[in-house]
Amino acid sequence: MTWIHPLSAQTEENANVLGGKGHGLVTLRRLGLPVPPGFVISTGACRAFLRDGQLPEGLGAELAAAVSALEATTRRRFGGPGRPLVVAVRSGGGVSMPGMMSTILNLGLTTEATAGLAAETGDLRFALDSRLRFLSGFAATVAGLAPESLEAVTRRGSGGEETRLAGAIAAVEALIRERAAEPVPDDAMRQLELAVRAVFSSWHTPRARTYRELHGLSHESGTAVTVQAMVFGNRGDHSGSGVAFSRDPNTGESTPFGEVLFGCQGEDVVSGGSVTRPLSELAEREPAVWAGLLEAMGRIEEHYRDACHVEFTFEAGRLWLLQVRPGGLAGRAAVRVAVDLADEGLISRREALLLISPRHLRHVRIPRIETAGTLDVLTRGLGACPGVAVGRVATTADRAARMAAEGPVILVRPQTSPLDMHGLAAAAGVVTARGGPTSHAAVVARSMGRPAVVGAVDLTVDVASVQAGGRTLPEGTVITIDGTGGEVVVGTPRIITAPTDPHLHRLLAWADEISSGDSGRDHIERLTAAHAVLLNPR
Amino acid sequence: MPNPAHATGTDLLVLHALRCVGFAGLARVSEAVGLPEPDVESELIDLAVAGLVTRVPGDFGGWGLTEAGRAADAERIRDELDTAGVRTAVTRAYEDFLVLNPELLDLCTAWQMRSVDGVIAPNDHTDPGYDSRVLERFADFHRRADAVCAELSAALLRFQRYRDRLADALARARSGALDYVVDDMGSYHTVWFQLHEDLLATLGIPRH
Repeated sequence: MTWIHPLSAQTEENANVLGGKGHGLVTLRRLGLPVPPGFVISTGACRAFLRDGQLPEGLGAELAAAVSALEATTRRRFGGPGRPLVVAVRSGGGVSMPGMMSTILNLGLTTEATAGLAAETGDLRFALDSRLRFLSGFAATVAGLAPESLEAVTRRGSGGEETRLAGAIAAVEALIRERAAEPVPDDAMRQLELAVRAVFSSWHTPRARTYRELHGLSHESGTAVTVQAMVFGNRGDHSGSGVAFSRDPNTGESTPFGEVLFGCQGEDVVSGGSVTRPLSELAEREPAVWAGLLEAMGRIEEHYRDACHVEFTFEAGRLWLLQVRPGGLAGRAAVRVAVDLADEGLISRREALLLISPRHLRHVRIPRIETAGTLDVLTRGLGACPGVAVGRVATTADRAARMAAEGPVILVRPQTSPLDMHGLAAAAGVVTARGGPTSHAAVVARSMGRPAVVGAVDLTVDVASVQAGGRTLPEGTVITIDGTGGEVVVGTPRIITAPTDPHLHRLLAWADEISSGDSGRDHIERLTAAHAVLLNPR
Repeated sequence: MPNPAHATGTDLLVLHALRCVGFAGLARVSEAVGLPEPDVESELIDLAVAGLVTRVPGDFGGWGLTEAGRAADAERIRDELDTAGVRTAVTRAYEDFLVLNPELLDLCTAWQMRSVDGVIAPNDHTDPGYDSRVLERFADFHRRADAVCAELSAALLRFQRYRDRLADALARARSGALDYVVDDMGSYHTVWFQLHEDLLATLGIPRH
């Protein structure tokens, strides 16, 4: 085929053709790891579409053939009747642009296919939930509706779970009919074609353009589209989704780290809207999935010779990998991983030195909460402005401003509005329950240089107390927040800065050996001198 | 001829500015409504007499809404929206705003943080090439944002002030006053954040 390549171990095209995501999945296939079957529509098809304003000749026929092959592999029918084939449609260019482009999951859930899925699983709630997810994704991506507008209609509705879902489905359908040029087609192939066009078109959204401009990426390369049989993390108790790092991204320690959500699809994990569980809970609740995940990450590390990050789903107790990315750790964690990998013999000391850039060393200097000892962690969110802040809890901007006269305070809010600005200005740091690293709260905290933790989703803010993890802290309680790792800790834990880091000292000693330099110089000079020797061998 | 946009009375303009800006000194309220300080102060005093606003004295003092002021503002702003018959138009513009909002937040984040060699670090503004690329994207963004503000101003004239303030912040930032991107009280992000608050308040949508 010209435009479409199967996700198989035999596919030889590179990431420029398959996109980084597609290429990673092919790599996982070669490593013998579980990847849902599917195919990739190449970046070339995207370029042709963007150039000519229509899908390239022959793509339609190839798409039909690829879907037939997927039907045969899965023994399912796209759009039903009988056991329905449902697919996930994801974007992915040669270089990853996280969160910039479109994804449509649960595609192919026509009215008939939804009924088929309910009959097959005996679980109407699950089938309706999946159909609602499809419609929401389709509305956002193909019809261009803002997530807030969708949430406003899907949150409505009452009655039992199934009645509520049916009501929400009708509301989203009505919204799409009102806003979009055409209603959601009840034909699976037509849904797929519209989704592919939408993903291709999302290459040119202003956000994606901005991302490429700022990261020096070409506007010409286009995105690939991966189409895979859907695996359902929302199918009952033995299903779920998660993200995992092979090593702790905060410390670099060689213990898997991540988050999992039971009974949910992957978008719930990454959207930051739900309270996730620590990855280690998998070990107790789904030991086979946990063992499979550890084994997979071990094999991936050996292949890439670096730490890795995976997205996974398990459906009815069976593990599937949906994405892999090597590396991705920063600062102190990156240093520790490089040193450990050299100690484990996976890479040489020279390679370890080359894994670390001067940027990482600058990052190492940012103070962090010492996570080695026992920490009284209240909750975790996302680090939005690096640095550590210690202070007493204040739950409103007014009280933060007043309490700040008697020593540092941490402003804790559900989210921030302009009305909180004077409280933020008075506070030493800020914690919010909602929002991500690009929320208003994060932007304002950074503009004021305040360490910030955002999106601590299990946090509730009351009139004069905060609650998380089943505990209540009254206003005035001293807490410490880490705006890099996102920890919110009760009391005043130890804070570490770079000079006490043993892994950094070992790495720099290796650097001095290579450059025959002395250890009296600045960390960055020592690393740069070693790089100079390693990169320009005489 | 379309109907001319509804013009808000000065007392409600000042009251509503405090609702969207939060606790602020006279200079900031005056800047937000675009009227001279003495006029604004006179309105504030009348509003204080009516129990709707209150002034905290001292170096860090300023003006803020009382509970009664917040309730009065919500009611009067809602009545204005319905009397002018522009609820549908403002709702539509708000939805367009929501599409733009993540992009603006991306741009602000790119201005503050920069990813180099896979490490995200604060942007120290020592690379003029990078900064000017971000500002070019701001200018491109502003063209689309201005169109949404124009829709809003056509419905309720008071939204014109956001058009002027956003244009002013961008012009200052591009002429070298880098504080006007996210840091200053009159920065692009600050004004945009207030516009966001104003739209929520105007349409009676709670921050959830």
